[in-house]
Amino acid sequence: MSDLDLLLSVAAIAIVLNGLLAGQQLGRWVLTALYALQFALLFSIAPGTDGAQSAVAFHLLDNPVGWQLSAFGWFFAMITIGIAGFCAAYAAGEWGATNAGSGLSMRWLYAGLQINVTAMLLLLSAGDLISLFIGWELTSWAGLILMLLGGGQALLAARRYIIYAIAGGMAIFAGLVMTAGATGSLQYAEVAAAIASVSTGTLWAITLLFVVGFAVKMAILPFHLWQPPAYAFSPGPASAFLGAISARMGLFAIGLVVLKLIGLDGFASLSLWRDVINLRDILLWAAAFTAILPTYVAMRQNDARLLLSWHGVGQGGYMLLGLMITDSLGSAGGLLHVFNYATYQAILLMAVFAVIHRTGTADLNRLGGLVARMPLTFLAMLIGIIGLAGLPPMNGFVSKWMVYRSLVTEGMPLLFVASVISTLGTVLSVYKLLHNTFLGQLRLEHEYVKEAPWSMTVPMMLLCTVVFVTGVMPGLVLGYIADAQAAIGLTPVAFVLGGIESKAGSLDMIWITGVLFAGFGIGAILFYLMGGRTKRVHQLDNYAGGHFLTADVRYQYSDNFYAGLMHRIRPWYRGTFEWAESALVSAVGAASSAARGFFEQANPALWVLVGTTLIVTWVMWHALG
Amino acid sequence: MHWAELIAELVLMPLVAFIVGLFMVLMMRKIAAKLQRRVGPPVLQPLYDIVKLFGKKTQTSHGLLHDFGIVMAVGGYVAAETLLPVPGMNGIAEKGGMITLLYLTMIPSLGLALGVGQCANPNGSIGISRALTAMLAYDIPFVIVIAGVAMHFGTTNLVDVVAQQQAGGFESWGAVQMPLLALAGLFALQGMLGKQPFEIYVAPAEIATGPMVEMGGKFLGGLFVMQCFQLYTASVLYVTLFLGGGENWITFLAKSFAVLVVPMSLAFLFPRYRTEDMLAMLWKWPVILGLIGLVFVTN
Repeated sequence: MSDLDLLLSVAAIAIVLNGLLAGQQLGRWVLTALYALQFALLFSIAPGTDGAQSAVAFHLLDNPVGWQLSAFGWFFAMITIGIAGFCAAYAAGEWGATNAGSGLSMRWLYAGLQINVTAMLLLLSAGDLISLFIGWELTSWAGLILMLLGGGQALLAARRYIIYAIAGGMAIFAGLVMTAGATGSLQYAEVAAAIASVSTGTLWAITLLFVVGFAVKMAILPFHLWQPPAYAFSPGPASAFLGAISARMGLFAIGLVVLKLIGLDGFASLSLWRDVINLRDILLWAAAFTAILPTYVAMRQNDARLLLSWHGVGQGGYMLLGLMITDSLGSAGGLLHVFNYATYQAILLMAVFAVIHRTGTADLNRLGGLVARMPLTFLAMLIGIIGLAGLPPMNGFVSKWMVYRSLVTEGMPLLFVASVISTLGTVLSVYKLLHNTFLGQLRLEHEYVKEAPWSMTVPMMLLCTVVFVTGVMPGLVLGYIADAQAAIGLTPVAFVLGGIESKAGSLDMIWITGVLFAGFGIGAILFYLMGGRTKRVHQLDNYAGGHFLTADVRYQYSDNFYAGLMHRIRPWYRGTFEWAESALVSAVGAASSAARGFFEQANPALWVLVGTTLIVTWVMWHALG
Repeated sequence: MHWAELIAELVLMPLVAFIVGLFMVLMMRKIAAKLQRRVGPPVLQPLYDIVKLFGKKTQTSHGLLHDFGIVMAVGGYVAAETLLPVPGMNGIAEKGGMITLLYLTMIPSLGLALGVGQCANPNGSIGISRALTAMLAYDIPFVIVIAGVAMHFGTTNLVDVVAQQQAGGFESWGAVQMPLLALAGLFALQGMLGKQPFEIYVAPAEIATGPMVEMGGKFLGGLFVMQCFQLYTASVLYVTLFLGGGENWITFLAKSFAVLVVPMSLAFLFPRYRTEDMLAMLWKWPVILGLIGLVFVTN
């Protein structure tokens, strides 16, 4: 039994244990420890050695099927198990007890989480396209378990999700069949070798089928509408897990198929209209729009969970954008963003669910002023939003910086501008999240709200430490990324512990963070040691416009927070989204009535004549040209 | 470089920035006075103001975050100055570059936003909502400018950008090579500094409806210090990107002050735009100029 088999077996047995033990608090802590065991087992696997090769192998319709963990899959597996462990710990204590009391099945929640992890491990360690497809389908259905647990709105979202997932799975299956037909194999190495001789048309079809199928999971525009409600309305830890890592399986698969199997050369050969625009440009721009539009939709949300889930869609755009630059720095930035995003998105959703745990709502118009009541949760959300907004010194900045610099130096300034527009929107949106939850006026009914229990704050604080430490020393993660890049045929990124050293522009986060904190120190000395003494007033002792207000008068500014901006861009939402949606509906309508007309028409001979003439013209054109 | 030398630079760069910034505030007031036919304040007035604000007896704090917002607002700029090369001192400019600087200067804004947020004054929150919207307005043309400059010089390293301009002489200055981007940058600068017609988010004339509403005493004093840094950072960054940086302190300071004269003089010619009009203005003209400029850079 190899190391990989051991890990997969433990993960499979853990499903059963989860179902048995998750009912009790002690059992849930044991299950959290089980994730630590899986994490340790993963670190005992050295990708590329025999240990990473599964001993289980069989033939399906004459095709060998096996499992092998590459450094690329290992990187995603590390994030998956790690985040699942934090989510399990978060729910183990009071959260689990309270929610079990209100009817949520902890057994299903924990088993569902472990089923997801196990399915993802099977997907990430797929050794050929068949095992990839098996893992893909298992992952898709596993996600459904967690979504269904939410009940209510979540059921509708889950139904929508599974329709998208089945459609995506169909596309992938079609791509699989075409690949087998065109290359005669479903083994990675053989497909990669044979792909150069596949005709351009077939290659286009294969690539598009795979990319579309995987992009559905990744929620790349225009396949994104299912994701925000599906992830937002799952129960707390499930939402955090799904939001943090689940959609990234799409990125893993895109990276594997596009970069490793089709390869950079094959990929570059897919161009429309000579070399004016190619598939890479299309994907880059789809990624850029995915980074921008959902971010500005997020800004309008009044439910904290939905706001974050919309950002999840947008951040996926960054990852694809980085990966598709395909140079060493940009693709490393895209992959690093997977890790960084998983850490801070988990924190943010955990913080939001901690607020829900204490106040019963995530409605941004019904919260406010909780900073003094829940300081640790506030701190967690603050660190999370600095990460999500991509400001130094948190890790989100480093990965975004790598993507930015790569776009600038690779000569794609418009994409750089697009990605910064997305970041600016994120800054606005996350400030609204923080302000409406923790700042502004405290509601009277929340005057005696307590801090979240330690079983929830400790996982958040640990993740905050990860966000900060990997922000200051990105080299800690970049080593794994360099290996992952090498595994899919990209040039590994050159890095130092503090970041990147390059003639085209360096980044050393150790120095940046050092001077930043030194600056804060100087600011603190100026503020606290100089001048008169400050007098602290009570949180509810306030006034506005010169009038004293009592705390039972509502004057929190939260609804339509960016009124000036919305005044300007609201027509665009109508102009773009709603226009595009209605255009799509009428296009489908027109096509179906045209098809109907074609079958019901009185005079088919005319159409046959038109068709024949067109074909003859085409043939003559080519014969003469 | 010897470590003692580096430490000296890291201490000196923010200090110089603050002192120069004080004179920039003074210049701003003097220009306003001249245009309005007043005498204007004495030379040390900006310093007196800071001392007065810090020395006030009533210092109302709405909580730890209110205090820490001011610490972040000042501290963020102190850190940013060490990334901005000046004659004879590069500090840690080579370890960051222009993109890092752009994002580092958002830290003070975030600090201000956090501090104002804890005050629980709806007018303050409205001010922050306007300030962040304004940031979205002026940063879009500004990143187009940054992208163009970085592509033109082939690097995001500010030290390298200065070195290339100084080696090539006047013809190689960013402003000569990329006049459209330089113009777009000037436009963005007007918004970045919050000068008329783009001063709605500071709303200095009616303090009760802006982010400053709960800021008195040393809270306002801290923000005054932040303003000195802000003026310095914006003008020096512009000089670095477009006007060849500084060969020596005399030309460097002359250029830095000269850059600020433009927005400061223009400011008093305009009324105030509403937030949405500011967006419309900054998303139109400087963006068009910037994009055309970008086409010239890439070809």
